[in-house]
Amino acid sequence: MITIALSKGRIFDETTPLLSAAGIHALEDPEASRKLILPTNREDVRLIIVRATDVPTYVQYGAADLGIAGKDVLDEHGGEGLYQPLDLNIARCKMMVAVREDFDYEASIRQGARLKVVTKYVKTAREHFAAKGMHVDLIKLYGSMELGPLVGLADAIVDLVSTGGTLRANKLKAVEEIGAISSRLVVNQASYKVNRPLLQPIIDSFAGAIRHD
Amino acid sequence: MHNWLLPEYIEDVLPAEAARLESYRRQLLDLFRVHGYQYVMPPMMEYVESLLTGTGHDLDIATFKVVDQLTGRLMGLRADTTPQAARIDAHMLNHQGVSRLCYAGTVLRTKPDGLARTREPLQMGAELYGHAGIESDIEVQRLMIKALQLLGMQTLFVDVSHVAIFASLSHMAQLETQQEEELQAALHCKDVARVKALVANLPVKAQQPFIDLTHLHGGIEVLENAHDCLPDTPEIAQALQEMAAIAARLRSPSVEVTFDLSELRGYHYHSGLVFAAYAKGYAGPIALGGRYDEVGAAFGRARPATGFSLDLRGALLALGPAQTSMGVLAPVSDDPALQTMIETLRAEGTVVVEALPEAPVHYSELACDRILQKVDGCWQVLAV
Repeated sequence: MITIALSKGRIFDETTPLLSAAGIHALEDPEASRKLILPTNREDVRLIIVRATDVPTYVQYGAADLGIAGKDVLDEHGGEGLYQPLDLNIARCKMMVAVREDFDYEASIRQGARLKVVTKYVKTAREHFAAKGMHVDLIKLYGSMELGPLVGLADAIVDLVSTGGTLRANKLKAVEEIGAISSRLVVNQASYKVNRPLLQPIIDSFAGAIRHD
Repeated sequence: MHNWLLPEYIEDVLPAEAARLESYRRQLLDLFRVHGYQYVMPPMMEYVESLLTGTGHDLDIATFKVVDQLTGRLMGLRADTTPQAARIDAHMLNHQGVSRLCYAGTVLRTKPDGLARTREPLQMGAELYGHAGIESDIEVQRLMIKALQLLGMQTLFVDVSHVAIFASLSHMAQLETQQEEELQAALHCKDVARVKALVANLPVKAQQPFIDLTHLHGGIEVLENAHDCLPDTPEIAQALQEMAAIAARLRSPSVEVTFDLSELRGYHYHSGLVFAAYAKGYAGPIALGGRYDEVGAAFGRARPATGFSLDLRGALLALGPAQTSMGVLAPVSDDPALQTMIETLRAEGTVVVEALPEAPVHYSELACDRILQKVDGCWQVLAV
């Protein structure tokens, strides 16, 4: 039995064509069903629906053989016990630093200011600012990061930006790109060794169906 | 306050599990012994200089440290017994020829690690010093396979790699240390996108072999593919030849040999063939090993070295809960015939528990399912 861990929403929608390429079709729609384990047309393949941030954990512990997780989530997790053989080029966006429109980010860096930063991506933010040689105080939030600078909780945010609409609506501006984000296929290392005959065809089908545009 | 709670990832091993663990520990040590591996008991702690020399950054992070009140020097609680065995071989034994050592004991890790996600693995291993040929690699891998089979694993997957391949490519591309480390980390998780980004500044001809490494994993066909797509250096040719020899000698109906050329675990520590054992039902490697010829140099005497180790607690995870072996309850009595009977049973290896006056009898708590009873003037073992 091969278990594939996915999250609902954008990742699931954009993964469906990849699964089709491997001849795998979910028998139920996760948006309509309350089930967390979805059977597929193949008896030896099932899907489990988990939170995006939990996908690497399920795969690391072998509760799932394959998973699809954003690079943002993988960087926070650290990737222990996982192979990341494919960049699926789906769910693309950017990890950015953003501040209030009236905040002079460059000037405050030059002055060596110690910035307060709110983010869900603590590890990514810590490594980014450390590489720049900046002192920052990180405050972990679980959502609505954009609010932080507006209510005086922080000077800057580190968050995913796809269209920039939310930033504009809240009078924030992106000042720095930390990196491009897309979803990756992750594979449990031990499972790849012992279930290669089952996994390799799925991975190869995914690889052949990746859109490069 | 719950003063009796243990720290995270530290646990007590309770009777049924402890009995099983100890039984397998003894059986494994007996297996190592009859293969000529001599048991050593290195200390739980020693100075970090000797504990960590030549072993790399990861082990440093994994090691708990304390200050020695006698000397002011920093001591480490061992996180891996292998370097200690290497130190013993290099300095204490001073054998000119081959020495074979084995060990079994608790190691401590600052962060939970391995299959059992514990900070206190029960590490067992066997190491062979003083022989550089492939025969010693085969000997330790065969011993590892026997050890895992003794633990009840029917079908094993032995995954083989060779660090000389990456080392040769890295040398040819004249990689700087930082770039080499980043590339090695990316290869380790087969992150093709990252590998491509990291080699983008190399000449085109030098890029492709690193990218190819991420795909070179699978069955015996990998070696042929590697031969076709990797540069023809003497080091790579020899590495591929050694891997082919391993496959030919280890393969059996119950052992599948696989290859993974981007597996670079312990790259700074290992120097040749490296291997890991997997089985269905385990979320990670069960046993790890490989050649580490350079480690002895840190102790002033470089010796060819190869060996393997496993965490016995992790290795038993797939066996399910341990069953307590049940014994015989003897009643309170001064009858000399009863004492004789008890000692006879014990000499045969049967557990005999002697009841104490006025103590309540709970058969399950006493782990007994039989009793000694006098029938027609004779003491007999009867079911409860």
